[in-house]
Amino acid sequence: MSDEVKDPKDVLICRCEEVTLREIEQAIDEGFDTVNDVKRITRAGMGLCQGRSCSKVIARIIAQRTGKNIEELLQNSYRYPVRPEKFKIFDEEESHE
Amino acid sequence: MGMSTAYYLTLQGKRVLILEAGIFGAGASGACDDMILFQSKKPGINLELAFESLELYHALNVDLKHDLGFENYGGMVLIKDQKELEIMEEFVQQQRMYGLDVVMLDEKEMRKRQPHISSRFIASTYSPMDAQIDPFHVMYGFFHVAKNLGLEYRKKTPVVGIEKQGNGDFRITTQSGEVFEATQVVNAAGTWAGEIAAMVGENVPITPKRGQIIITEKIPMVGETNLWSAEYLVSKLRPEVKTEISEEHKALGLGFAFTRSFGGNYLIGSTREYAGFDTRTTMEGVNAIVKQAVSYIPLLKDIHFIRAIAGLRPSTPDGKMILGEHQDVPGFYTASGHEGDGISLAPITGKLLSDMMCGAPSDSRLEELSPVRFADVKGEQVQ
Repeated sequence: MSDEVKDPKDVLICRCEEVTLREIEQAIDEGFDTVNDVKRITRAGMGLCQGRSCSKVIARIIAQRTGKNIEELLQNSYRYPVRPEKFKIFDEEESHE
Repeated sequence: MGMSTAYYLTLQGKRVLILEAGIFGAGASGACDDMILFQSKKPGINLELAFESLELYHALNVDLKHDLGFENYGGMVLIKDQKELEIMEEFVQQQRMYGLDVVMLDEKEMRKRQPHISSRFIASTYSPMDAQIDPFHVMYGFFHVAKNLGLEYRKKTPVVGIEKQGNGDFRITTQSGEVFEATQVVNAAGTWAGEIAAMVGENVPITPKRGQIIITEKIPMVGETNLWSAEYLVSKLRPEVKTEISEEHKALGLGFAFTRSFGGNYLIGSTREYAGFDTRTTMEGVNAIVKQAVSYIPLLKDIHFIRAIAGLRPSTPDGKMILGEHQDVPGFYTASGHEGDGISLAPITGKLLSDMMCGAPSDSRLEELSPVRFADVKGEQVQ
């Protein structure tokens, strides 16, 4: 893939999972109109960063396309771990005790 | 179950409306570890239906015109001592007689396929049949085709009342006060199916068993297959055999499951906890899964996990799903209670149920799954 994006719809919204604006808009148009719904259909936000940057962008795209309130769309569940953790962290924790 | 049943019903020309309480895949489908697992199943109706379901998946992979993330890495159950070995040898023998392609591997053969596992393991099973599929893509595939055939789908529309009317039709009321009428109703509410059945005075005893899973970053293949440990399976098959499982792990119902998911992340689980309808992950659960994973596959210690998820398996008192029409409420059907086999059994469940609802000749094998068996039984009381 060349660095230059010819069609603005090909711009990557979720870089971890390489999901384009086009794919996200298609999902929204099929009725998947929450951040969580879009994630389930396109994998946007399922990658290494767990949607820390793209979920806000996706919320904005949904708001623009559906007229929904952006505040309402940004409510999402955060679960442990909030950042990627190494497996060995638990063993290390114990050795410090 | 709902989406699968809707798909097969629309194929047979039925008009279908799905009333989804939450969002797309909000129940167990969204917390599933993708496995179409044969080796964990006792010979009997569950194993038999799992074979048929796999055939349906092969067809759906083509018919739905959507990549379902189907993979067939095969699976190994890791054995750590002589006692487990004896029990697993017997179990494998039973499964083979039932037509499952599964063999025992000695330590050398095991390590050839899985070079990174801990030295504690002495042998394993191997089945080339164990497979996996992505639950969201399966649901989306069903949805997309069914929608083109007329399926109506309402999310965030919880049902609050179902009433059987004088003419035999059902009147369904949603939380927002909308009312729908239907000649047939399918209760596919998974872990919450008991609540829906109670609306028509029926008993569907479902107990939620929570499963926590952690998800790793994308990494290359670890060995050739997906993995499980015999420890949990043995404790289920032969509860009288003394095992060295700690009280903490017993309370968590900790078992080992290691699946390479669609996309290259590994899903590592899992727990089987009685925690009511609480779908949260816990530090104890995640901690136990992580430690177990590192002790079984030491090279994981430098890998990151990026998320932990939890969901509720709908379990029944006899370990078999509840499928069929309620004798006392003609036109009302339940499809629930698949426990950890939902993704394995979704296609065959939807197919069998839609056949039943469209008046196909009855299949005598399914009598043992009928909700009639629990008409007078109360579910395990949780909390």
